[in-house]
Amino acid sequence: MGEASATAVDRPARPAARPGGRALLQDALFRHGTRLAAVAVGSVVLGILAALTVGAWPAIERFGAGFLGSSAWNPVTEEFGALVPIYGTLVTSAIALLIAVPVSFGVALFITELAPGWLKRPVGTAIELLAAIPSIIYGMWGLFVFAPLFGEHVQPWLTERLAGVPGIGILFDGPPMGIGVLTAGIILAVMVIPFIASVMRDVFEVVPAPLKESAYGLGATTWEVVWKVVLPYTKVGVIGGIMLGLGRALGETMAVTFVIGNAHELSASLFMPGNTISSILANEFTEAVGELYVASLIYLGLILFGITFVVLAAAKLLLIRLGAREGRRA
Amino acid sequence: MDEASAHIEAGAAAGPAPAVTEVPNPKIVVRNLSFRYGRFQALHDISLSIPERQVTAFIGPSGCGKSTLLRCFNRIYELYPDQRASGEILLDGENILDRRQDLNLLRARVGMVFQKPTPFPMSIYDNIAFGVRLYERLSRAQMSERVEWALRKAALWDEVKDKLRQSGQQLSGGQQQRLCIARAIAVKPEVLLLDEPASALDPISTLRIEELIHELKSDYTIVIVTHNMQQAARVSDYTAFLYMGRLVEYSDTSTIFTNPRRKETEDYITGRYG
Repeated sequence: MGEASATAVDRPARPAARPGGRALLQDALFRHGTRLAAVAVGSVVLGILAALTVGAWPAIERFGAGFLGSSAWNPVTEEFGALVPIYGTLVTSAIALLIAVPVSFGVALFITELAPGWLKRPVGTAIELLAAIPSIIYGMWGLFVFAPLFGEHVQPWLTERLAGVPGIGILFDGPPMGIGVLTAGIILAVMVIPFIASVMRDVFEVVPAPLKESAYGLGATTWEVVWKVVLPYTKVGVIGGIMLGLGRALGETMAVTFVIGNAHELSASLFMPGNTISSILANEFTEAVGELYVASLIYLGLILFGITFVVLAAAKLLLIRLGAREGRRA
Repeated sequence: MDEASAHIEAGAAAGPAPAVTEVPNPKIVVRNLSFRYGRFQALHDISLSIPERQVTAFIGPSGCGKSTLLRCFNRIYELYPDQRASGEILLDGENILDRRQDLNLLRARVGMVFQKPTPFPMSIYDNIAFGVRLYERLSRAQMSERVEWALRKAALWDEVKDKLRQSGQQLSGGQQQRLCIARAIAVKPEVLLLDEPASALDPISTLRIEELIHELKSDYTIVIVTHNMQQAARVSDYTAFLYMGRLVEYSDTSTIFTNPRRKETEDYITGRYG
């Protein structure tokens, strides 16, 4: 320091330290503040995990891991199992993604690559508005508008065409009631499309123009450019968007409760009513009497927590494997 | 600067239209080409011929329209809805601005390399094979041969032959650009468009790209856009000087640089403005 000031004769005076070390204090406050926020999130997650485990303990003690594989649900005899709601949760979410991912991909692609300029904003805004509709509205719309139409016109058609097909026929064989697992999946698809589509649109938009031009410049068609260049380039964002949608589908409660039928049965047909973890919690928590009943419901919550965790971990693994295929770690 | 450009604009507008330079074996003939970005007219009535298996350079200050002109030759501008070209561009006598022109085929015949390297997010091998797979069904052995051929042509083979399966994005900037050139020549185009291919690279990589251009011209018709005049002087056989969307002068490179006909050209190449 002394040396520097001795040689700095004709340089402008260096700025004096800010009074009272305010900068240092600010930095320290900022650092600790952000750390606190980060730690807080982590501890909330751990806290929820701990609270769920404690609450579920009587059921864990009683049923153990067998809870996962049992389809019993009898509050009178106090026999509980999680198979039906786990199945319902996974199947409705799978149906939702099966429909929502291709549709969202199409929407995002249309907006970023194909739509004329004047159409981009209206379509984008419509998608975002779809995300702003409260889920209970989706539930009511699903129950009063969608389900009757679906049961009257679509389900009989599906049964007629697909019930005879070996393998998948059994999925579409059942009474056309309108409500059920398939209906819940479709409503969920409508609900998650805006999330997946807007994330996909955002990541497609950041693909550098020269990269796309290079692919077009080799004579590639729009499809080839998107499929072979844009999608690999944006895969992290795209998978993130899908996971966001999946997270919403797994946890969605009200809309699903309205249209799934809330029956504690295991059935191969997608037309039959079923249950998901979150809808069973919403429906039965208020009427749950007895320690074991409540504990079993909390156990279900713990399982949903676990499913979400597994899904996120799987997404990470998928990304690592995709990276390897691209040659990043070869 | 403003004064200088005003002077030049007046000069370009008032002076006689540049004589159309006769070139041997014209590969591309441009006639009365105008280009608009929406309402802004970026090119005014350009006419010039580009000789086969020679290097033609477009020079001029930023915004003069040299890249725009280049982007007409493979109609890459069509990706953007408000960009329009009018006039004629004949490639081997066929007007490529014709609406019936198959764009994908055109782009397979006219390859392009951009200012910034744009390796695709895939392995080095697949980067090269990408374009080839679009048009040709090759066996695995034939494809490997083609990939090696393209990488050798682009003077990259020795550096990457042991890591063809690694991501193309892991290479250095200069290597990435040579990868992009290899990718462009792998589909065996007739014309190679280079849009400031070395402006993002260090001097050594630039030198390698220039050597490469020199070698490639025996097989390809090369058009290069550059704002580096020494580079134009080093690599090109013909040079066109564009200013404010107009072709000011077009001639063989030595004439442009040693004995320009027009004062604007002289001012530009002697660094008096731009």
